Amino acid sequence: MSLRVLRQSLFWQRGRLIAVGLAALAWGALIPTFYVTFQDLFEGLIEQGFPENLLNFGSGSLFTLGGAMTIGFQHPLGIGLVAVFAIGAAANAVAGERETGTLEVVLARPLSRRRFYVSVGAAVKIAVAVILALLLAGQVLGIYLLGVDDEIDMVMVPLVWVVGLMLWAAFAAFSLAASVSFDRRGPAIGLALAYLGINYFFEILGSFLPDLDWTQEYSLFHHFNPGEIVTGNLDPIDLVILGVAIVVPVIWALWIFPRRDLAAPA
Amino acid sequence: MVLTTPPVEPVIRAEQLTKHYGAGLHRPGHGGGPIRALNSVTLEVAPGEIFGFLGPNGAGKTTMIRTLLGFLHASSGSATVLGHDIATDSVALRRKVGYLPGGMAVYGSLTGSASLDYFADLQQREPVRRDELAERLQLSRSDLGRKVRDYSRGMRQKIGVIQALQHDPELAILDEPTEGLDPLMQLAFYEVLEDLRDAGRTIFMSSHYLGEVERVCSRVAIIRAGHLMAVQHVDELLARRKRRVSLRWRGAAPDLSEIPGIADVVATRDRITATLSGDVAPFVRAVASPSLVDLLIEPARLEEVFYEFYAGEDGDEPGGAG
Repeated sequence: MSLRVLRQSLFWQRGRLIAVGLAALAWGALIPTFYVTFQDLFEGLIEQGFPENLLNFGSGSLFTLGGAMTIGFQHPLGIGLVAVFAIGAAANAVAGERETGTLEVVLARPLSRRRFYVSVGAAVKIAVAVILALLLAGQVLGIYLLGVDDEIDMVMVPLVWVVGLMLWAAFAAFSLAASVSFDRRGPAIGLALAYLGINYFFEILGSFLPDLDWTQEYSLFHHFNPGEIVTGNLDPIDLVILGVAIVVPVIWALWIFPRRDLAAPA
Repeated sequence: MVLTTPPVEPVIRAEQLTKHYGAGLHRPGHGGGPIRALNSVTLEVAPGEIFGFLGPNGAGKTTMIRTLLGFLHASSGSATVLGHDIATDSVALRRKVGYLPGGMAVYGSLTGSASLDYFADLQQREPVRRDELAERLQLSRSDLGRKVRDYSRGMRQKIGVIQALQHDPELAILDEPTEGLDPLMQLAFYEVLEDLRDAGRTIFMSSHYLGEVERVCSRVAIIRAGHLMAVQHVDELLARRKRRVSLRWRGAAPDLSEIPGIADVVATRDRITATLSGDVAPFVRAVASPSLVDLLIEPARLEEVFYEFYAGEDGDEPGGAG
């Protein structure tokens, strides 16, 4: 890994990192507030016969604090915040430099393509880790401020961060694999967004339509459930699935990138 | 006892270097099929020379450079740069090389200084020539302190030249280095190249411009449609070149056909155009007359020279790669 490339990549993301990080902190702090505010309302709706599955969102719900934490990570706003880096920055990391022509100026140095890939990949994952940490920190802050910390096992909160990082590292790895596979950022970002969208569609579809709940098994989002983690119900198979989802695109990228012809940018 | 000097190892040695892009879908009469960007190119560049790599757009100049640097993988053949095999040792060779790509791209959000710092750090060599190059190319401290996105095209090219040469590389590979530089800066750049050569460095540069090559290069290779057509000393090339001449004449047009080297004569009412090969002096003596109103001898463009000398020879298929 090139620490210089890593440092420079993070430097270029600093403004976005601060803005998105603050938004993630605020969004995280709102989640326990939603839970405390709307829990009674939703329970009342169910007692009146409203279908419970329509009050769920993905693998989360507002009936438990853990479920609310899951919504915080699976809501489009939460996903959008992390995707700025895991999808946008990752898909742009190589293909964007390739498109603008700066990649060849960098790779004209004694720097192998694999080292460059590992370096920009590390920068993306650090950014993702920071955003997830701030989102989770916001949730913890809200939980303590509202005095509901006795409803979950706070010791498990760091594990939420670890598994969340694995989920988004998988998306970032896929996006980076797309980035090294194309000469333009458009196709790379498009493919990465499609991968994210399909995973999200399977997760949400299964939560709204009980007959199609099997689709959730095919979504990476389903394998990161903060609600289960904070209640001590982490399924180890989820870690295996997320691990495979990280490793496969990394292997592809390390194989294809050095073998690709980098013709002159148009 | 016989003393022999050891043979000098070429800085660049390419043997049968070939690059074909993509199989494509080939249907006879409908185009497609692989693009033959380089075809069995064999050449050597000696230490301490400024070597010009000439050809029209799409001839394969940039493909050759990118293959030497490891951006493209050769389809067949082999090459070494500073003794390093381009296929297996490209990272090590790039430590000793400075590269200026055609159409230099820069990070717009960085200042000129920050850009050069970044590239120098990645090069892992001290930028010992940076200050001197910035001074000679007239990039002031305040220029270098500005964001590159605010630079003119010429200033970006200067940054490109400095980043390629600031670490005093053993070999500089420059792709169309004077694109965007004004004539004064071109002259300053040529002097930089000559100083590097005098310091024992080797320059491999591609260019469209014959005049530029005449000015600085000792030897040239001419490539067309991926085929190496010739490797010549510049003096030999100059002896073969044609110039376009144009005369304005008062009164009856003179007969130019007897002048050595004159061809393609076209006479209109008061103007005569022709091509001139070889020595200029007999032509100038022949047309010196009070009736001569104006005389223009244009330097031939590379493309014209190229097609004049190689039209109809092997290599007519399109190259398709810069």
